[in-house]
Amino acid sequence: MPKYDLSFTPPIMNAAGILGFAPGNRDMLDWSELGAFVTNPVSIGPRTPARGKRFIPYPGGFLLHSGYPNPGFTQVLRRYAGRWKRSPVAVIVHLLAQAAGELETMAHRLEVVEGVQALEIGVSSEASATMVGEFTQAAVGELPVIVRLPLECAPKLAMCAIQAGAVAISLAPPRGLMPAGEEEFVQGRLYGPSIFPNALMVIRALKQQGAPVIGAGGIYSREQVNAMLIAGAMAVQLDSALWRDSGSKIFQ
Amino acid sequence: MWQGTGRVSEIRLGSGGKTELYITCPANLVPRAGQFVMALAADSLDEVIRTPIFTAEQTGRGFWAAPLNPVKWSPGTVLDLARPMGHGFELPSGIERLGLAAVGDTLARLMPLVHQVAPTRAALTLFSDLAIPALPAMVEISPLAWLKESLDWPDMLVLDIPLERLPELRSLLGLHDRSWLPCPAQVLLTTFMPCAGMAGCGACAVAGRRGWKLVCEDGPVFDLRTIRW
Repeated sequence: MPKYDLSFTPPIMNAAGILGFAPGNRDMLDWSELGAFVTNPVSIGPRTPARGKRFIPYPGGFLLHSGYPNPGFTQVLRRYAGRWKRSPVAVIVHLLAQAAGELETMAHRLEVVEGVQALEIGVSSEASATMVGEFTQAAVGELPVIVRLPLECAPKLAMCAIQAGAVAISLAPPRGLMPAGEEEFVQGRLYGPSIFPNALMVIRALKQQGAPVIGAGGIYSREQVNAMLIAGAMAVQLDSALWRDSGSKIFQ
Repeated sequence: MWQGTGRVSEIRLGSGGKTELYITCPANLVPRAGQFVMALAADSLDEVIRTPIFTAEQTGRGFWAAPLNPVKWSPGTVLDLARPMGHGFELPSGIERLGLAAVGDTLARLMPLVHQVAPTRAALTLFSDLAIPALPAMVEISPLAWLKESLDWPDMLVLDIPLERLPELRSLLGLHDRSWLPCPAQVLLTTFMPCAGMAGCGACAVAGRRGWKLVCEDGPVFDLRTIRW
């Protein structure tokens, strides 16, 4: 059983991929406004940025296809473990894996890293229920595990993750496709205010299933934070609003 | 990170029919040549992300911004401005022949260098196929296609190119795969920078000689020898 329970005060944190690998390296946020810090996704080996077009704006949001670049698990530990230890807020390390064994390795090593209070594992939108169960079980150990499911398949997969030992579900941005030239398309994650109504509906659905959920998706105002909490989210994750104005319309 | 406010106080039609905005702001928010500030209309509900703006001309109590596409703001718009970010142009002293080349859709980001060099005795050639604004008489203008024939002329070459067109650069310069420029070169890469260094999100990544570099953090001006092109 996980050693810690999850609770966040205040019930607001950043989403993975939004504020880097460690808190405190920027001067734009008052860390007391956040109940936790979620790292950029970390994979067992290094990942390079995606090739081709990576950012496409559209009315109401934008598509981002970054490839989740990171220097790999060992390098991330070497560079950031000290800052996690000194972090003013709880650190949640987001893990990205191709196979369950990779998650098991990384999760086990993180159990002894000071400052790390929980893990969040990313699951692709192509994942089956079986895969979600296997990934979750591989990550579960002494640290609580949050499973981040793509918005579009969260209602279908949430209970698989919970039954496999996840303490909560968080929501990854939905994926979409945008034209990037005459006959080219780019697939990527969608961000922006246009996501919010879908995200809110998913939170309500997950709440009805009995899954603890950390809401995310298109939050740009305090009212939207409150709406997600009222709909049943235990906390919320902020994404592109932090890039826009450091969340000033949320924290004001 | 967000350090102050500015105001769009004037608007003009620049060369090539592009709209240019004059932004009044404190002096510490005016970006140096090649640097940028991330800007957002203070009362905007529609702007999902900040826009990087570059200096075209520093004058008076603010600066003329390089044209934006699309133009989002009108005179009177109050802007939230971050502190200037990124590495700008660094011209070594004693330059005698400076080549400037604009490969993208505007010359404006190179104009501060024209004004910087104009009072000196250096010769300056601007390579571009774009509509040319009013320039000091000492500036020579050449079509972009002439650049490859002129590489042995400048002491230093400065390029402004969109990141997605970087793969065209070698052909534009008429260089074979392994050949190098005969002079030092700095390149301003323009692209979307959604996180502006907050996350290292990778959207503006460019392949460097030693690993990946981010335009928002490591650039936007690079020594051409440090990136792969």
